[in-house]
Amino acid sequence: MAKENTKKNSNYISIKESRKILKYNIQQMKYYEKLKQQKRDESEYITRMKDPNNIIEIENLKTCFFTDNGTVMSVNGVSFSIPKNKIVGVVGESGCGKSVTSLSIMQLVQAPQGQIIGGEIRFNDEKLGYFEDGSKKAYDITKMPTKEIHKIRGEDITMIFQEPMTSLNPVFTIGNQLDEVSFIHNKDMSKEEVKKHSIEMLTKVGISMPEHVYESYPHELSGGMRQRVMIAMALAGSPKLIIADEPTTALDVTIQAQILELLKDLQKQVGCSIMLITHDLGVIAEMADEVVVMYAGRVIEKGTVQEIFHNPLHPYTIGLQKSKPLITSNSNEPLYSIPGQVPSLINLPDHCYFKNRCIKCTEKCSGKYPKLVQVTDTHYVSCYLYEKKGGKLSG
Amino acid sequence: MDEKKEIILQVNDLKKYFPLDKNLFGKPARYLKAVDNISFTLEKGTTIGIVGESGCGKTTLGRTILKLYNSDGGSIFFAGQDITRLSKHQMRKYRTKMQLIFQDPYSSLPPRMTVGNIISEAVRVHKIVPKKEVAKYVQNIMKKCGLPPQYYDRYPHEFSGGQRQRICIARALAVKPELIICDEPVSALDVSIQAQIINLLKELQKSMGLTYVFISHDLSVVKYITDQIMVMYLGNAMELGETDDIFDNPLHPYTQALFSAVPVPDPDVKMHRVILNGDIPSPANPPKGCKFHTRCANCMKVCRYMEPKYIEVTKKHFVACHLYNQEIMNDLAFYDAEYDQILLQEQQMKEQKEKKNEKK
Repeated sequence: MAKENTKKNSNYISIKESRKILKYNIQQMKYYEKLKQQKRDESEYITRMKDPNNIIEIENLKTCFFTDNGTVMSVNGVSFSIPKNKIVGVVGESGCGKSVTSLSIMQLVQAPQGQIIGGEIRFNDEKLGYFEDGSKKAYDITKMPTKEIHKIRGEDITMIFQEPMTSLNPVFTIGNQLDEVSFIHNKDMSKEEVKKHSIEMLTKVGISMPEHVYESYPHELSGGMRQRVMIAMALAGSPKLIIADEPTTALDVTIQAQILELLKDLQKQVGCSIMLITHDLGVIAEMADEVVVMYAGRVIEKGTVQEIFHNPLHPYTIGLQKSKPLITSNSNEPLYSIPGQVPSLINLPDHCYFKNRCIKCTEKCSGKYPKLVQVTDTHYVSCYLYEKKGGKLSG
Repeated sequence: MDEKKEIILQVNDLKKYFPLDKNLFGKPARYLKAVDNISFTLEKGTTIGIVGESGCGKTTLGRTILKLYNSDGGSIFFAGQDITRLSKHQMRKYRTKMQLIFQDPYSSLPPRMTVGNIISEAVRVHKIVPKKEVAKYVQNIMKKCGLPPQYYDRYPHEFSGGQRQRICIARALAVKPELIICDEPVSALDVSIQAQIINLLKELQKSMGLTYVFISHDLSVVKYITDQIMVMYLGNAMELGETDDIFDNPLHPYTQALFSAVPVPDPDVKMHRVILNGDIPSPANPPKGCKFHTRCANCMKVCRYMEPKYIEVTKKHFVACHLYNQEIMNDLAFYDAEYDQILLQEQQMKEQKEKKNEKK
């Protein structure tokens, strides 16, 4: 872990400290990079699923970035799971680790600065059989060597990125880029078959002239069309899980409505799970079955949509919902706002990270970071306010 | 609201065309009509919201009002004075009274100047207060905007997005403006920070009697902060009215679709949603007739060739749609016939051209 030499309440780092950090970072990065390149036996990265009905289980995931200012714990012990054929929404402000969680699942964290340093991501692959005792075999993505991850990345787990403008290659035609995906995952397909498959995908996402779009370049398409192409690309494999990282943030409201509708339809058609990352609570309410609320690299509350929206427990979740002006809200009252701002993720002390902004803060909050408390079967919250009740309820 | 208030800004038929191609003699052959025939009036101490999708000319409108772009027609009255034809030198007098807050607080602050310098620059140039009192004056403004005065000597990179936006607001306020044009001031910020900035803007409006032109694509924010709303589409005003009126009773099909597309953060509310087909047409090559007809669910034959008039349906509620024009609705059959005739004529023209080509 990062050294705790830096003074509190100051961004100043002396040269001595800076050198120390640099040395530490190089040592750590080398260690983790070496681990990734090592050849490993299959038994090392195959584990068992806790619940075979989940497509993915994330447990105590820790991803950090070794920066010149110290170690940034972007994801700090996140655990949640995504059931089959469900849409799970992940909400949080910028910098809360939503995107890094999704990149960790894909093993796409910017290396060598960014490294997964602990935890498990269990991916339930149908192709893997069962253990002798009947439990389901699964890949542990955090321990998979880079060569092996190619088998599932882009094929079973695909991703839709935030900005369709920058994530398509401007010098290749749409057809070219779509074909590439099919080629990589089905090496024995002929060129004609691949083209047919790509055009089929373009039709699936509601593009009216697929042959024309197949031959055009990204700059010829509008933002909505580009996002549709990105979705087609995500469908080109045979995805079990689609990670949609803010798929509609860069789009206009009317186009956003179109794309969300499309995603919902496709999810039912293809029968996959979607992990929907967004900061818009409205989008979550409309799309998701389950919601995970993140703050400063931790899960602070999770539950079904009904629970999160009708009975939010954590003060942050409550504040987040109150601070969003609604079309139906009264404009004469001042808007509720959470005071302060998101803390820096370097050298966070071991107490509730929301403590300084919380209005319901008690003495207890200065203690250790609160554990996730189970309130109902599906509803978990990480806050001392509910610890007593939860304790009584559960046991 | 009955008493007559001072009208601070009046815009009549404002136009801003950007030249696209040039012909043989270097004169523009085609125009992109970014702002086309926009008019509204704004009373002192109130806010108008300008809503629309990207590329509809919201930002251009804001900048044309400030005369950062020269207008190509129409007139702008600021506090009763026509400022449309003023020269740069003459405009200087008005610059302090009209200010702009930009969308992106990360790129709109000079990184090499301290916060104090950024805010005080305009104060010194326009000699708002005597030289000796500048520092004190600026610190006072900073306090008002929720920035501790000890940040005076810091640089912009040391601040978070929300605080930077506060600096931008302080910079705009420093010259004692009457009108502030807010160009998407909160869209680059997080939800919890957005609320802080919106509250600040509202507070300042109350305490200093400011007037805002609030440009945004976020309808719920606009609903919260504005008194009247103008909906724009491809450079044209589609609907203009008081906020409550427009939200309770949206008339134009585009406004209806726009409002229904906003996701509501409540899982049980199943909205009756109007989903628009297709994309926004290119503003360089807009459709004939009503610009919205390609995506409109209630499209009639009239809409395809005749531009709708901007009519006042109820008091202070304007809409540009044939559906609310009684003259046209009473006589639909006549207009349908006319459209058929136009189509026929066009076809005949085409055939004639083809024949000519064949002869050649």
